[in-house]
Amino acid sequence: MASHSQILVEEKSSVRILTLNRPRQLNALSSNMISRLLQLFRAYEEDPSVTLVILKGQGRAFCAGGDIPPLLSYVIQGKWRLGAPFFADQYTLNYVLATYSKAQVSILNGIVMGAGAGVSIHGRFRIATENTVFAMPETALGLLPDVGASYFLSRLPGFFGEYVGLTGARLDGAEMLACGLATHFVPSTRLTSLEEDLCTVGSSDPSFASTILDAYTERPHVKQNSAYHRLDVIDRCFSRRTVEDIISALEREFTQRPDDWISSTTQALKKASPSSLKISLRSIREGRLQGVGHCLIREYRMVCHVMKGDLSKDIVEGCRAILVDKDKNPKWEPRRLEDINDRMVDQYFERLEGLEDLKFPPRNNLRASSIAAKL
Amino acid sequence: MRKLLDGHNLVDRDWIYGLMTQSNLFNRKERGGKIFVSPDYNQTMEQQREITMKRIWYLLENGVFKGWLTESGPEAELRKLALLEVCGIYDHSVSIKVGVHFFLWGNAVKFFGTKRHHEKWLKNTEDYVVKGCFAMTELGHGSNVRGIETVTTYDPTSEEFVISTPCESAQKYWIGGAANHATHTIVFSQLHINGTNQGVHAFIAQIRDQDGNVCPNIRIADCGHKIGLNGVDNGRIWFDNLRIPRENLLNAVADVSSDGKYVSAIKDPDQRFGAFMAPLTSGRVTIASSAIYSAKVGLATAIRYSLSRRAFSVTANGPEVLLLDYPSHQRRLLPLLAKTYAMSFAANELKMIYVKRTPETNKAIHVVSSGFKSVLTWHNMRTLQECREAVGGQGIKTENLVGQLKGEFDVQTTFEGDNNVLMQQVSKALFAEYVSCKKRNKPFKGLGLEHMNSSRPVLPTQLTSSTLRCSQFQTNVFCLRERDLLEQFTSEVAQLQGRGESREISFLQSHQLAEDLGKAFTEKAILQTILDAEAKLPAGSVKDVLGLVRSMYTLISLEEDPSLLRYGYLSRENVGDVRREVSKLCGELRPHALALVTSFGIPDSFLSPIAFNWVEANAWSSV
Repeated sequence: MASHSQILVEEKSSVRILTLNRPRQLNALSSNMISRLLQLFRAYEEDPSVTLVILKGQGRAFCAGGDIPPLLSYVIQGKWRLGAPFFADQYTLNYVLATYSKAQVSILNGIVMGAGAGVSIHGRFRIATENTVFAMPETALGLLPDVGASYFLSRLPGFFGEYVGLTGARLDGAEMLACGLATHFVPSTRLTSLEEDLCTVGSSDPSFASTILDAYTERPHVKQNSAYHRLDVIDRCFSRRTVEDIISALEREFTQRPDDWISSTTQALKKASPSSLKISLRSIREGRLQGVGHCLIREYRMVCHVMKGDLSKDIVEGCRAILVDKDKNPKWEPRRLEDINDRMVDQYFERLEGLEDLKFPPRNNLRASSIAAKL
Repeated sequence: MRKLLDGHNLVDRDWIYGLMTQSNLFNRKERGGKIFVSPDYNQTMEQQREITMKRIWYLLENGVFKGWLTESGPEAELRKLALLEVCGIYDHSVSIKVGVHFFLWGNAVKFFGTKRHHEKWLKNTEDYVVKGCFAMTELGHGSNVRGIETVTTYDPTSEEFVISTPCESAQKYWIGGAANHATHTIVFSQLHINGTNQGVHAFIAQIRDQDGNVCPNIRIADCGHKIGLNGVDNGRIWFDNLRIPRENLLNAVADVSSDGKYVSAIKDPDQRFGAFMAPLTSGRVTIASSAIYSAKVGLATAIRYSLSRRAFSVTANGPEVLLLDYPSHQRRLLPLLAKTYAMSFAANELKMIYVKRTPETNKAIHVVSSGFKSVLTWHNMRTLQECREAVGGQGIKTENLVGQLKGEFDVQTTFEGDNNVLMQQVSKALFAEYVSCKKRNKPFKGLGLEHMNSSRPVLPTQLTSSTLRCSQFQTNVFCLRERDLLEQFTSEVAQLQGRGESREISFLQSHQLAEDLGKAFTEKAILQTILDAEAKLPAGSVKDVLGLVRSMYTLISLEEDPSLLRYGYLSRENVGDVRREVSKLCGELRPHALALVTSFGIPDSFLSPIAFNWVEANAWSSV
C-alpha cells in the first residue's frame, strides 16, 4: 500500500524504528504519512511492549517540509477549508510528540526544515550530525513558522528564536546543539552503532536512552562565522518591538561595523513577505508565554487565515517564486511593512467563522517538563 | 477573557514579558523543568539597587520608554501604563523607580512646568540623560502637603530662589532615587515673597553632577533598609540655602517676575493648590492598577497550588482531598478572586477616564481615584495574606513570591495619600455635593449620585437565589446603602454643627459614618464597572461566568459589611440568605477557578514555582 510504504516500520525487540520514506521528495510529509505516524505513535504509547521510538529519514534528508502542492491547489481554487485537515492532523501529531510519555529519538542526518522540525524538535531527544541542515524558511514563502515553532523558537536563548524564525537562517548540527534545538551530536559514521545500542533499551524511562546517547554525543565547535557567535548583535536587534525596528537596528549596526552577516540578515528580512514577517514576529512573542498546546491552537488559526488569503495571497506568490517557477523574485502584496497595521495583524489571530479551534486529546502521564505543554 | 481583563496593549505587554524572560538580567532560573524570572530578594540592599538600575537601562536600550514624555494623547498614555504594569508584575522596585522618574519627576515638569521646562528637560528625561526624583514628603509632613516646612525665598539681585531646610522635621524623606542615583529633583516648598507665604510651589534643583557627586549646599542621607522595595534607593535631603535660577520655578500655575512680584492666574490659594495637585492623580491610577496585578499574582499562585495540593481524606482509605475541593478553602479564595476581577475592571475604567480627562472631569477623577486607590490597595494586602496562608509553609519561602510580595506592596496603603485620609476625601466630596444640591434644589448630577433623584429603592423581603443574583437587585442594595449613609452622615454632621461644633470637628466626630459611606461609594462604583463589562459581552459562556463572578463580588461585599444589619437594609433572614448564596457561588465558581486565573494573562514564568509542579521543583535532582 502506497501510504504504508511512505513510512517504513522496523521492530527490534522493544524498540520501533520509523523511517520517512519519500526520498525523491526529500521526505516531504504528505497527509498519508501524517495519519500513519499519528496512528503508530498512539499505538506505541499504549503498547507495553514498546519502550522507545526512533524516527529517521531515508536518503539525504530527514524531512524537508510539508507536502505543499495539494495545499496550494486548494488555496488557488479558493477551497482553503479542504487544506485545514492537513494542518489539524499535523499539529495533533506535533502535540502528541511534545507530550509523549515514552522515550523518543529523532535522528536528523540531513535536511530538517518546516514540517520536518515539527515531527522532531518536540520530541525528547534530537540527534544532529555533520550533515544536518535546519531551517524554518516559511517567511520567504508567505507562510509562518508553524508546527509549534512559536513554542520551540521562542525558547531559544535571547532573541535567537526571532532571528531563526524571521530570516529562515540555516543552522548546522553544531549550531543546533549549541542553541538547544538538538540534544545530542553524533557523527554520521557512528549512527549505525548508536541505533544498535539504542535497541537494547529495555525501559521506557528516558534516562536509559539518555545514558546511551550521552556516551555517544560530541561537542563540536560552532564554526567561526556562525550566527551563534553574533548573539550580542542578534539580541540587540531582534529584541526590538516591531519588524521595522529590527531592520533599523540591523542597519544601525551595519553603519557602525559593516559585515556580510549583518547585510545578508537584513537582506533576508527585506526579501521575505512583509505580512509573514509581522505575523511571525507576533506569533513567536505570544508563543514565548504560552504552552505548546496553546501555540499549536493559535498557529492553526493563523495558518487557516493565511490559506484563506483575505489580507494577503503571499503564500501563492511565494510558492510560485521559490518552488514552482523558481525565479526567486516574489511580488508581495501588501508590498511594504508600513502597509500592514496592527489591526490587520490582529485578524490572523482571531477564530475563523465556521472553523472550530483545534482540540487535543487529553494526555496522561504528562512528564514534568511537559507540564508546560498542558493546556 | 484575558483581553477583557488586561483591557489594552496586549502586544506591548507580551513584548516586555519577552524582553525580561530572554535577558540574563532578570534572575532567570529553572524549577521543575520550567523557567521562572523573579528578583533575587536575598541580595543585599546595595546589590538590589544596582541590579534594578541595570534592568532599567536594559529596558531603556530596547526603546521601552520612547515617547513616554514627548508623546501625548490617550493611546500613548495607555501604552505607558501597560508597560509600567508589566514592570510592576516583575518587581515593584522596578516600577517604582521608573514611576518616580517618569510619572513624578517627568509629569511634574510636563504639567507644572511651561515650554521652557519642556524643551530643557523632557527629552533628556526620556533618554535618562538626567535622573529625576520628587522631593515633596518631609520627615514631619506626608499626607498634609500644605504643611511642609521647606522654605524658599527670592533674591531679586541675583534672580535666584533660595531653598532651605529650616529644621530637622523639614528634611525631605522617602525620596525614591535620591540616595544613590538621581541627578535632579522637583522640590516642593513654601514660597515666601516679600514677607507673604504664597503657599506650596514646585521647583527644579540639581542634586548631583554627572559624575555622581552631591552638589554643594545639599546634604543627602540614606533612608536605610526597608521591609520591602530594597531595589529603590530612598533618600533624605537637606537644603542649605541652595540657590537655583528663577527659571527653575515650575510656573504653569503661578510665577515670580524678575523683580520679585508674585503672579498667578488663580486668585484663590485653595483653588491654586488644587490645580497644582491635579497631575498627581496619575499616581493613584497606576497604584490602583498595580495593586490588582499583585493580587492576581497571589491568587494565580494560591489557586493553582490548591488544585494540585492534597490534604486529609474524608473517607476511610480514600485519597486525600484537593485543597480547593474543601468548602472552607473555596470560601477563603474564591470571593477574593471575584473581588479581584471586579476591581480589575474598576482599575481599567479608572485608567480610561484618566487618559481621556478634561478639566471638567478632574473633580470626579479625584474622588473616584481616591476611593479606588484605597480600596484596591487594602484588598491586595488582604489577598496576599490569605494567599500566603493558603499555601502554607511554601508561602514562607521568599522564592515563592506570595509572602515576599506583602512587604513589597505594603507601602501602597500609605504612600501617594494615606488610604484613610483618601477615603475621607471621598466622604467630604459626597457631603459637599449633597449639601450643594439640596441648597440649590437641583437634581444630583455626577459622582454616580443620579440614583438619588429617583425614589428610594425598596428591597424585597424574601431573597431568593435568583433575586440575589439579579443585577437590578444588586444595584438597588448598593444604591440604597450609599443613599442612606450619605443622608445619615450629612444629618449627623448638621446636628453636631447645630450644637456649635465647627464643620471640621463635626467631620472628625462622624468619622465612622464617613468611613462606611466612603466604602459604600467605592464598592458601588466598582460594581458598576463590572456590570458595564458584562453588559458589553455577547451571550455565551464568558458572559455567564462573568455574571457569577459579579454576583459573588456583590454578595461577599454585602456579607462582609455590618452596615446592612446595623442600619436595617437587610433583615437577619436576608443576611442568612446572602451567606448561603455565597457558599453556593463558591461551588459554582470552583470548576472555573483555573480558567479564571489563567485569564489574568500573567505568563507562567512570572508566577511562583508552587503554581506548577512543586514536587519536581523541589526534587533532589535539582539541588
